[in-house]
Amino acid sequence: MTRSRARRGPWFRREMSAGRFALAMNLPTLVFLGLVLAYPVAYAAYLSVHRVGLAQLRRGEFPFTGWENYGRVLEDPLFWVATKKTLIFTFITVGSEVVLAIAIALLINQAGIWTSRITRVLILLPYAIPPICNGLIWAFLYSFQFGFLNRILFSLGLIDNPVNWAGNPDTALYAVTVPYIWRTLPFAIILVHAALQGIPRELYEQAAIDGANAWHRFRRITWPMLQQIIAVILILRTAFAFAVFEEILAITQGGPGDATWVAAWYSYKITFSPPNNFGMGSASAFILTLMVAAIALVYLRFVYRRVTL
Amino acid sequence: MSDDLIRKWELSRRRVLGAAAGLGMAGLSGSAFGQSAGPWSVAPRSKVDRVNFVVWTYGDIYTRIAKQFEADWGVKVDSTISSFNDHPTKLTTMFAAGEKIDVSQSSPFSFPNFVSQGLVEPIDGLPGAADYIKDFTPFTKQVATVGGKTMGLPYFSAVWVWNYYADMLEKLKIDKPFSTYDEFIEHCVKAKKDGVSRYPVLWVAGVGLEQLPGTWYQMTWNKGGTFFDRQGNHQLGPGSIARETLKWWANTFEKGLDIADPESLKVQFTTSAKAFGAGKNLYRGPNDHYGLNVCNDPAQSPIAGKVKVLGSPGDGKTIGVTHVYFLTTATRDKEWGWKLLQYLGGKTKDGNYTQAVNLAKDAMLGSGYTSVMTSDAVKQGWAPWGDVPAILGIWDKAAYIGEVCSSVYQPWHFPWTDQLNIEVQKCLTGQITADVCCDNLIKGIADAKRKV
Repeated sequence: MTRSRARRGPWFRREMSAGRFALAMNLPTLVFLGLVLAYPVAYAAYLSVHRVGLAQLRRGEFPFTGWENYGRVLEDPLFWVATKKTLIFTFITVGSEVVLAIAIALLINQAGIWTSRITRVLILLPYAIPPICNGLIWAFLYSFQFGFLNRILFSLGLIDNPVNWAGNPDTALYAVTVPYIWRTLPFAIILVHAALQGIPRELYEQAAIDGANAWHRFRRITWPMLQQIIAVILILRTAFAFAVFEEILAITQGGPGDATWVAAWYSYKITFSPPNNFGMGSASAFILTLMVAAIALVYLRFVYRRVTL
Repeated sequence: MSDDLIRKWELSRRRVLGAAAGLGMAGLSGSAFGQSAGPWSVAPRSKVDRVNFVVWTYGDIYTRIAKQFEADWGVKVDSTISSFNDHPTKLTTMFAAGEKIDVSQSSPFSFPNFVSQGLVEPIDGLPGAADYIKDFTPFTKQVATVGGKTMGLPYFSAVWVWNYYADMLEKLKIDKPFSTYDEFIEHCVKAKKDGVSRYPVLWVAGVGLEQLPGTWYQMTWNKGGTFFDRQGNHQLGPGSIARETLKWWANTFEKGLDIADPESLKVQFTTSAKAFGAGKNLYRGPNDHYGLNVCNDPAQSPIAGKVKVLGSPGDGKTIGVTHVYFLTTATRDKEWGWKLLQYLGGKTKDGNYTQAVNLAKDAMLGSGYTSVMTSDAVKQGWAPWGDVPAILGIWDKAAYIGEVCSSVYQPWHFPWTDQLNIEVQKCLTGQITADVCCDNLIKGIADAKRKV
């Protein structure tokens, strides 16, 4: 026994098993994620099944209410309006991002097209702008009488009268999608561009020798090789688009009427406007999370697995 | 703990009486202005290294009053200042997070919620409170008294008025502004037809507690209607004045006469005054009287001096509000919190209503104190921006907003107003009719009550 211990040496000198080594390497990340993600999520879940107003938060006593908050959210017609608007917003923004990201990435990936470093930085710039600042910039651009957008369109003779982009219920939701796409598109471009650079050039050269034109090369080589990253983009962008908030806050505040009343705005208003129903706000946020999770599962089932198998 | 506090206040009262005996007998006038001896001039017994307030922004008034407090009492004042719309969120999250908050403020619409959620400390019995209460205007009494207790001191008061651009009226060869709603429509239609103004009226109808709802409340009240009677029954049914007013109002927008500026549905109080200053509209309102200090400020408005004030049609009935400052239940020290509250909403160490007078002079705000409203501070302070006798004449015809919409006293008013903003904007943009809007709002009353 003693001999064996002596042979193996003290525990900190022994070689770690692969499993323990992996755990040790991942522990800091897991602890960090646990603190900044898991704890708030778990706490929100706890709040969602309790009656939580300001007085309860101050006292730290939360009466248990079971599923009552969830029931009240699901009974609220405004929640369903918000869900519908969110789905439309997500469909437009994610769809546009994927198409535009592929187009732009293909363009800057062309060997014949020279893009300077400055151009590449400029393409990335919108992603570096804080979302709330982006919203404010576009709010100025959209201003009915004094906005830059109407001024340009008027100067070009494209409109006779100013258009109330953010104040018209028919255009407001689309008016919010444009700034959002403008801000988040660079992220998708980076991913697609990186994937494009990973496609061996020989494939294109051989296809060219075989007489394939540009469309065929895209359809038979580029598109299949991009599908995996497109699936990742779809999952990530859908999750983020579902939580759009800052552009709504800065440009329309949910209006006019409920034209841009999206899910995150609903949760915010329920939680942070009097009567400050934190329990119901948490419940609505959780329902939103479940919806995103369901969509992510659909993507995984029908897009990601299909391209990886 | 509470006994300790009571003993403290008893001692304070004794000291106050002593101070009053020493100085008050020296023939000082009974005026509300400039009394240097009184509870306001006596230092609290307790010790604090700092006090704080959480307020919404208004110029540099808070920087100035905080400096004065620090100079007078040697106690540092921390301030948390956000925009008007963000203020309830900021305050409530700080409160929920267990932070110390000595003094804050509220619009009359949020106040019942803050009271019901336990944020607000009553001020009855605090040194000098009775004197303030005696000096409250009727508006202030209606806002600050909740369940028989006095819950705050006034920040400012305002009444709803109309504005018109005098030069544009002259250009239209119309000798005087409208005195009936029919005339209002005639003027606007003529202005549009003559090409003088594409959108003659700028309504103040952005989402909020005062803007869009306030405009509807005011016109309904002026036409003889209300939203809820004293028993709390809604007055929004078919044929009601509120419903007919909404129909009339919606008809001024794009799908009707198309005389309303589309920006109307986005602008808040200050932004609407600034937009009107661009000189593109004939009429603006009805909204807070002090918008004139933006429209007629040469630094902010190209048409400064050309914007005039106008009362409402008929008997001129209008509405008004008082916003309040209050001592919070999260105060670090009740005595010092009360002292700071007085600097914001009462008297400073020198016995003057310093903040109220400055607000009248610098920002054209009305006061919640009778003595300030009847003083030269208002008459002289407001003069650079508008016709003071005309505004005070309108003031006399104003009723507190709670008379028009008694739900403002209820915690469910806030969530109901959220729905009101949505439904009325949908109505004004032609998505639903006024009838559907009012029917939805009637249904929404029960929903709002459930949310509280």
